[in-house]
Amino acid sequence: MQPSPNQAAPARIEALRSGRVTTALVMLAIFVTMSIMALGFPERARLMPLLVGMPGSLLALILVFVEWRAQSQEAASSDVQFREAHRNEKQMFFWMMLFFVGILGFGFVYAAPLLVLAMLRFGKKESLAVAAGGAIGTWAVLYGLFELTFQIPLFDGHVVEWLRG
Amino acid sequence: MEIGGVFAALLNVVGSPYLMGLMLIAVPAGMLFGAVPGLGGKLGIVLAIPFVFGMEPLAGAIFLISMHSVVHTGGAIPSILFGVPGTGPDAATIVDGLPMTRKGEAGRAIGAALGASGVGGVIGGLFLFAILPLLRPVVLAFGPAEFFLLALFGITFIAMLAGDSLMKGLLVGMFGLMMACVNLDPQTGTQRYTFDQLFLWDGVDIITAVLGIFAIPEMIALGVAGGSMAQLGKPSASFGLRGVLGGIGDVFRHWGLTLRTSIIGAFIGMIPGLGGEAASWICYGHAVQSSKTPERFGAGAVEGVIAPETANNSKEGGSLLPTLFFGVPGSSGMAILLGAFVMLGIQPGPALALGGMDVVWALIWALMLANILAVIMFFALAPGFSYLSYVRGSLLIPFVFTLAYLGAYLSQRAWENLVLLTALGALGYFMKKYDWPRPPFVIGLILGPIVEDSFHKAMALWGPAFLLRPGALFMLALIALSLGIYLVQMRNKRRRDLSAA
Repeated sequence: MQPSPNQAAPARIEALRSGRVTTALVMLAIFVTMSIMALGFPERARLMPLLVGMPGSLLALILVFVEWRAQSQEAASSDVQFREAHRNEKQMFFWMMLFFVGILGFGFVYAAPLLVLAMLRFGKKESLAVAAGGAIGTWAVLYGLFELTFQIPLFDGHVVEWLRG
Repeated sequence: MEIGGVFAALLNVVGSPYLMGLMLIAVPAGMLFGAVPGLGGKLGIVLAIPFVFGMEPLAGAIFLISMHSVVHTGGAIPSILFGVPGTGPDAATIVDGLPMTRKGEAGRAIGAALGASGVGGVIGGLFLFAILPLLRPVVLAFGPAEFFLLALFGITFIAMLAGDSLMKGLLVGMFGLMMACVNLDPQTGTQRYTFDQLFLWDGVDIITAVLGIFAIPEMIALGVAGGSMAQLGKPSASFGLRGVLGGIGDVFRHWGLTLRTSIIGAFIGMIPGLGGEAASWICYGHAVQSSKTPERFGAGAVEGVIAPETANNSKEGGSLLPTLFFGVPGSSGMAILLGAFVMLGIQPGPALALGGMDVVWALIWALMLANILAVIMFFALAPGFSYLSYVRGSLLIPFVFTLAYLGAYLSQRAWENLVLLTALGALGYFMKKYDWPRPPFVIGLILGPIVEDSFHKAMALWGPAFLLRPGALFMLALIALSLGIYLVQMRNKRRRDLSAA
């Protein structure tokens, strides 16, 4: 059954919000921005960015429409499986950001073992023994192997550096 | 070719307990990365970067090449036992490997894969030795014009790495080329897209980019899907060493096939961008074509395991050749290895043929020795490897996150790379989720600077007439031929799809 024009319009707006179209839009934004910036470079420096950026922008624009059309023709997926995958996705991005912020703030040796412990225990519901074992193993590798054995100093983290003055 | 130098390099490797010790660590590590689906050789190299950082260049390179050369040996295990390919090129092994397991011949299939991988790896190395005397004069004849066109030739393979979506593949390749422009322009000294950040003056760090585009998205996807990497079936009970020995014997019983597919695999490996998937499937097709009883294939023919597995390992030898002498990676795995070599202080390119042949010989020997070591070590490790496919994602993810951030930081000792890694990781995940092929990005990022730099040099030396040099004309013909073959393949595929529909 064909959707009526009234139904098709919200579907297309929804399609624009979809990840598929958004990814293509992000690529388009990257190419357009970089191409515009390249116009300010000297002649020899802007050759390659423009040579790639201009057709890239055009291709990305075409792809936005291709993805938009493909998405708006797909059936709306609002089932339980989709919602669960979406929730898991959010959780994984949360953990990735936590690793990023934690390591940036408190460095590898302090933050990484605690993050491994937290993710195993609270994020993945592993037993305390497994989580603690993982954290100790991480600390042993980071501190024991890198800092002590290989003498490679790891990033201390901005907060730790600030606290140390 | 200096025979003395060749064997001196072998003695240098074999006679060094340090180098042999590194290989003894690298071989099981490489097999582990191959055996756990979703990890793979590329991620293995990237995660090993922190461990080789600061090592002497040759030792670090031997560690990485040993690890990389046996990835597919490990990758055959979940393919055969559970029908889950450890890496992309191992997919062809499933076709006959899984039916062999169902028939109670898992041990034989594993043995055949192991033997074929070992023999393939050694023949791939020998192929390199055989072709080097012919290659060296050609390599030395290469100037900026030829390099520009060779890099362009590599870039045309972006289309072939694109998979089902050519448009997305091209765009991702262009994205890689654009990212390659982020630097202090070597021609004019202009800052391009650096936003006054010192860590971007030398360009986007390849290791960080690869970790962001591959490792982080794989872990997010694993966390989203839940469970373990492989959940199909249970490890086979008939995992006896007798069966494994029988399978190894099959490799030598079918010696003609083993030899042919090894050479085909090595040759395909030499062509940048064709990739391991092409090598294993072409060799599988050759095994079916050359068999007197092709109807057995797909139902558990041991030749169906031997052919793709020899190709998988022999192509590594072949792809080492353009990687080392032209700086053009033969595969996406080699692209990452190339970045690691540069980081270690080994500069691939024609200069290596002039002053670094001892390093080249040592790496070829290491490649062959690693394959032999893998066969020997596998007997003890095989049962343990079969359980690796059941490692829960929840146990794997936090460690890979830690290693990814560690690798990104250590590659340039720049905390800013953590920001870059997170941003590229998020983008990479959505690229994976929405079927954007990611390998073209690496090809673009690596070949972009070669294209740009050699183009400006060629123009300065010869002007537009550089395209009329004999070498340049040959390369142009090669590009035209490669694109022609691709278009014919695409047309045939479309016809097949239409007739199947």
